Amino acid sequence: MSAQAAPASGQPGLADVLARSDVWRGDALAQAPLPGVPTGFGELDTELPGGGWPRGGLVELLPERRGIGEMALLMPALALISAEELAWVVCVAPPLPPYAPAWAAAGVSLSRLLVTRAAGGDAAWACARALDADGVGALVAWLPAADATTLRRLQLLAEKSRTLIFLFRPAAAAQESSPAPLRIALAASRAAAGRLSLNLLKRRGGARAMPLELDLARPAPLPSVSHVVAGTAPTAAPARSLSQPAAA
Amino acid sequence: MRLADAWALLPGLAVLERNAERELRQLDALACWSGQFTSEVSLVPPAALLLEVAGSLRLFGGLDALLARVAAGCAAQGHAATFAVAPTPLAALWLAEERPGSRCLAPESLREMAAGLSLETLALPPAAQARAAAFGVRTLGDLLRLPRAGLARRLGAEVVVMLARGLGEVADPRPRFAFPDTFAERLELPARVQDAERLLFAAQRLLQVCCGWLAARAAGVRELTLEMEHELYARQQASVLELRFAAPTRDAGRIARVLREHLGKLALVAPVIALRLLADRVEALPGRACGLFGDAGEGEGIAMLVERLQARLGNDAVHGLTAQPAHRPECASLPVSPGAGSEATAAGVRPCWLLPQPEALAEIGGRPQRGGPLDLLSGPERIESGWWDGGEPGALGDVRRDYFVALSPRQEWLWIFRSAQGWFLHGLFS
Repeated sequence: MSAQAAPASGQPGLADVLARSDVWRGDALAQAPLPGVPTGFGELDTELPGGGWPRGGLVELLPERRGIGEMALLMPALALISAEELAWVVCVAPPLPPYAPAWAAAGVSLSRLLVTRAAGGDAAWACARALDADGVGALVAWLPAADATTLRRLQLLAEKSRTLIFLFRPAAAAQESSPAPLRIALAASRAAAGRLSLNLLKRRGGARAMPLELDLARPAPLPSVSHVVAGTAPTAAPARSLSQPAAA
Repeated sequence: MRLADAWALLPGLAVLERNAERELRQLDALACWSGQFTSEVSLVPPAALLLEVAGSLRLFGGLDALLARVAAGCAAQGHAATFAVAPTPLAALWLAEERPGSRCLAPESLREMAAGLSLETLALPPAAQARAAAFGVRTLGDLLRLPRAGLARRLGAEVVVMLARGLGEVADPRPRFAFPDTFAERLELPARVQDAERLLFAAQRLLQVCCGWLAARAAGVRELTLEMEHELYARQQASVLELRFAAPTRDAGRIARVLREHLGKLALVAPVIALRLLADRVEALPGRACGLFGDAGEGEGIAMLVERLQARLGNDAVHGLTAQPAHRPECASLPVSPGAGSEATAAGVRPCWLLPQPEALAEIGGRPQRGGPLDLLSGPERIESGWWDGGEPGALGDVRRDYFVALSPRQEWLWIFRSAQGWFLHGLFS
């Protein structure tokens, strides 16, 4: 009997085992069971198993602070889900009220956007319900206090759905173990201002040693030399009283 | 058996008075429930229901599937029911009584099938039955072999008419059950319940009845009221639970899921002895269109999700967003009911998050500070509007601001403005 002979019936051969989507060789990226959703950034797509944001698993994002471009990273994929697949985008427990004009300008269809305010365990519960529901294309959740059990439950639910799931957790959580198959720490780039540095802490197929730097869509060009001159404060016309902005 | 004999055999026997009125109410409830299978329902008191199902077979996927659903539904409501299917109502009643589960679908085989039925099943007038037994008739077959004219003379004309109706020779019109205009059904619980979550099981019986009634009326509800009657000694008004739905529905499973969330939050003031379900306002809800590929209709999954989230988190905590064509940033984004959002034309660059209240920024040397001096990257965009609602309470009022996109030393992208009061942080690009 040669070494290439078919294995005994019922015993899968090595090649069969390697072809499974949940088994990968250490020197290659894993095969994703479902094709990924294009991230909108070519360099990132080539680094992710499945060629994009993976469906059927948690994507854990660990930004060092708010406002460095963590949503700009997701917006192309959310716009694709919302406008092309006509599926709903669900935000669970966002840290601040989402601002409709910006989301609309990024391409997210507001008629298929659902915002849920929830705290603590209710937020994880809301995520689980959203994963159960039909028609939810993407779930973006902020779970700063989620423990390993909660994440494990969400991961099990995620494996049964086709929903794209982004979980935002604090950067300190990078030290904890997590069942999420893809974990990315986000930081503002030290090398070039205005870029976002992605550190792929965990992905199927092995971590990436070097952080990946991306140019995101930013609201204003970076100045080459000097600042814009701010001018003088707007003054009140004498006929009208100026209300307190803080009371807005 | 006399009661005394029964007690002698089983001393612990609990004896209850038969309550014919409650039996009739139960039959009415069952008729309401069976409205989901056919609109032709008629009552045969005290204990029988007639459903005309020939028109419903295709919808429910054949007789077997339909009967399975009827049997499961009866069992779920705590009724031990026997069935028979026959071409005429009378024959169905006879067969259900003597041979439960029998099916006679072809009118020509009815005579043969009914021949073996005993005379008692036919419920003849007592005098006629005694006379028939006296001349040696034991079964329906024996009766059918005799000439009808002679039978009419010996047993009475009504017996012959009944036979003709049973065999389908004469029409047998039955009064239709009139489905009530509003739904109000009461269910007495077998034991007092102190834990709200345990009410769900009992409430599901009422929901089944309600959904059958809605199906018969081709209607759905947006609002349902569940009243929980407390024990008399507690001297409490009945607790009331209002259920609301995003869209009219008659899906018992969906209503039960929303009810479960409500009951999970509810703390009962006193034990509950009875439930009442009320639905007084219904809306037309035509049958659901199936997707071409067998999938559920679009949007229904989301409506159910919204209801479940709202039931637990509150109506205000779950919303959609709409963009308004307004200049003042606070007025340009409004929470709306999910699915009602629409895009307005974008004014300029706008941040992903808007702070609920602008946050004052320190100013050093003419530059706003947040973890160090901010770089102003674009602007100013002057927004000056709202003089008309300055005096109203809660209104934003007159606004006069210069907005900038700024970058902090920590690489945060901020939306800040300058007004007569100084610098303020208003949003985060992210």
